[in-house]
Amino acid sequence: MEKVIVGMSGGVDSAVAAFLLKESGYDVEGVFMKNWNEDDDCSAEEDYKDALMVSEVLGIPLHSVNFSKEYWDNVFSTFLDEYKKGRTPNPDILCNKEIKFKAFLQYCIDLGADKIATGHYAKIVQSKNNYELHKGEDANKDQSYFLYTLGQEALSKSLFPLAALKKKEIREIAKSENLSVYNKKDSTGICFIGERDFKTFLKTYLFESPGDIVNSEGQVLGTHDGLMYYTLGQRQGLGIGGGHGEKNAPWYVSDKSIEKNELIAVQGKTHPNLYHKKLEASQLHWVSGGMPDLSQSYGAKIRYRSQDAKCTMEQISKDKVELTFQEAQFAIAPGQSVVFYDGDICLGGGIIDSRSN
Amino acid sequence: MEKQLNCYFDHSATTPLDLAISEWIKRTQGEIYGNPSSSHAVGRKAKNILELARKQMAEVLGCHSKEIIFTGSGTEANNSVLHSLLFQEKKHVVTSAIEHPAILSTLQHLEPLGLSYSIAGVDSRGKVNLSEIEKLIQTDTGLITIMTANNEVGTIQPISECSDLAKAHNIPFHSDAVQALGKISIQILLEQVDLMSFSAHKFYGPKGVGCLYKKENTNLHSFVYGGGQESNLRGGTENIIGIGAMALAAQLAVEQIKETTDHIKVLEYQFITGIKTIRDDIVFHGNSKSHIPGLISFAAPGMDNQKLLTLLDRENIFVSSGSACHSGLSTPSKILEAMDISESLNLSTIRVSFGKHNTDKEVQYFLSVLKKIWMG
Repeated sequence: MEKVIVGMSGGVDSAVAAFLLKESGYDVEGVFMKNWNEDDDCSAEEDYKDALMVSEVLGIPLHSVNFSKEYWDNVFSTFLDEYKKGRTPNPDILCNKEIKFKAFLQYCIDLGADKIATGHYAKIVQSKNNYELHKGEDANKDQSYFLYTLGQEALSKSLFPLAALKKKEIREIAKSENLSVYNKKDSTGICFIGERDFKTFLKTYLFESPGDIVNSEGQVLGTHDGLMYYTLGQRQGLGIGGGHGEKNAPWYVSDKSIEKNELIAVQGKTHPNLYHKKLEASQLHWVSGGMPDLSQSYGAKIRYRSQDAKCTMEQISKDKVELTFQEAQFAIAPGQSVVFYDGDICLGGGIIDSRSN
Repeated sequence: MEKQLNCYFDHSATTPLDLAISEWIKRTQGEIYGNPSSSHAVGRKAKNILELARKQMAEVLGCHSKEIIFTGSGTEANNSVLHSLLFQEKKHVVTSAIEHPAILSTLQHLEPLGLSYSIAGVDSRGKVNLSEIEKLIQTDTGLITIMTANNEVGTIQPISECSDLAKAHNIPFHSDAVQALGKISIQILLEQVDLMSFSAHKFYGPKGVGCLYKKENTNLHSFVYGGGQESNLRGGTENIIGIGAMALAAQLAVEQIKETTDHIKVLEYQFITGIKTIRDDIVFHGNSKSHIPGLISFAAPGMDNQKLLTLLDRENIFVSSGSACHSGLSTPSKILEAMDISESLNLSTIRVSFGKHNTDKEVQYFLSVLKKIWMG
């Protein structure tokens, strides 16, 4: 019997993933993973309790593992460095790359697992001599964006049992199987921040350096609390309201100047400075192991919630591509990942370095 | 290899209920339901059980009935002692780096309320440094608290010496003896302390009940306010069945102490000699000459303890990393840190704690599984 170890988070997705595997006859074990050490060292207790109750209903063992050190060294430090550079990192992507499908995967293999499984909404499709990563069935929940750093080795050893299901169905299964987490709220935000205020959190790790908010002509509109608190395209929380200038339209963050410690804002969501046709991305990763055919056009997501936008790609150096979108994209943010799709197939992606027109 | 064996080697975490105790509970719990504070016959019956238990506990410990205060746990007993300092003039506490969180965490939480504390270090075997304790004593020190024996490495602390030190400075002395009852002789120690904490589930009694020994005339402020139970020190209707079961368990534990410790010392010897033949690089923590019988803390270099616990769990062998928190995760042990054990050894340390029901067959099985894990 194939042994599968499921990463149990205490949420409904991994609970149902474990259930489905058990149903299909795998030898299933759960491992509860903790990646963040609070001062009290035991903050994951609520989630652990949920994972434990689920594992008892399913009749599977639940073990625990602490990757806080690996998380700090390989995810969180990069996260902070990126913020220091005024970029907007995505730690969840890095967590999948460095922790879930690297440290955790290796740990489970060492424990004798044939495969690992998680509650991700994505599909692994085995073709002739290749593993493909596809979007999950639930378009609204698809998480392939977060998984683009997975390679052949990781995909060959992973299972996503929720691939063909919709969130609603998952909750229904959980309910009918008496899994107590059936109505547990989905976790939001970055795992280590949880429900805490992002600003307060960041302040404990990074030096806060207030400066001016200026318009594109360099006129001072107000002050900001620190560039790290703002994301390109952000509308809320600038504290300068609408009503400045001729129009009454709200202001949006269009750029940051690290040198001058200035936040540049423009008025109205349709302002041209908020839109770019091109971007450059590096730290490329291709799921298949090789670069796709660049003569074709592809879909690209510049952030998790964005629609696939049609683009062409040109290689400009060994680890750098330039993308040209058919239509200019709103608020392309350096530090975020751009992920490429051929229809439903996730080809890979990279980190956005710059944008231009 | 017989996988059906269920090897519970985590008696320092908790013990299974003794069969005699569970039978007593079954017999009594339907019958005794009164509130001991009620004056009618049903209440009197309950009060009788409560006071018999107090008498029994006092006899076991070698003290007066009125010196026994029943609590909800050993942790609560410790909390009540520290909490009491807030109501006294002298609010400084001297303690050690290897105390249970029931002491160290409580001190942290009481600090903003005016309590202060100093922590004495330990040597590499986990024994508290007496001269450091003495140096840490201040004019406003109102309590010295040093555990009787450590829960992770088992080192027995120099309670007599600590007590002499406290007496010389006229400071009340408390000892957390949660790990000790039934494993080392308590009566002699009890004579030397002013306050001592116990927990029923560490000596084959039920969970959720503990007690505090308070020598007559020792100052202690009420901890839980309410109906004046436990001489006004701990309000709340008494957990009669739990208390009765604890007293019975304490009596059994002390009556059987020689038999039990002889038995687990044999298991310990078998285990240690056996493991040494499997690997010659095992690092044993604590003080082999003065430790809780049956508690073995050791590092097996090269494998982190979470992995080893998982592999053993699969084979129905239940041990602990000694520092597991409520989410089942092991973090570097603060006690091993205090003993100046390297982080890599710290993270490969597990604690085995044998109990009276363990058998040599189980120990042999345990060794064979370890051999399989390490040697393949």
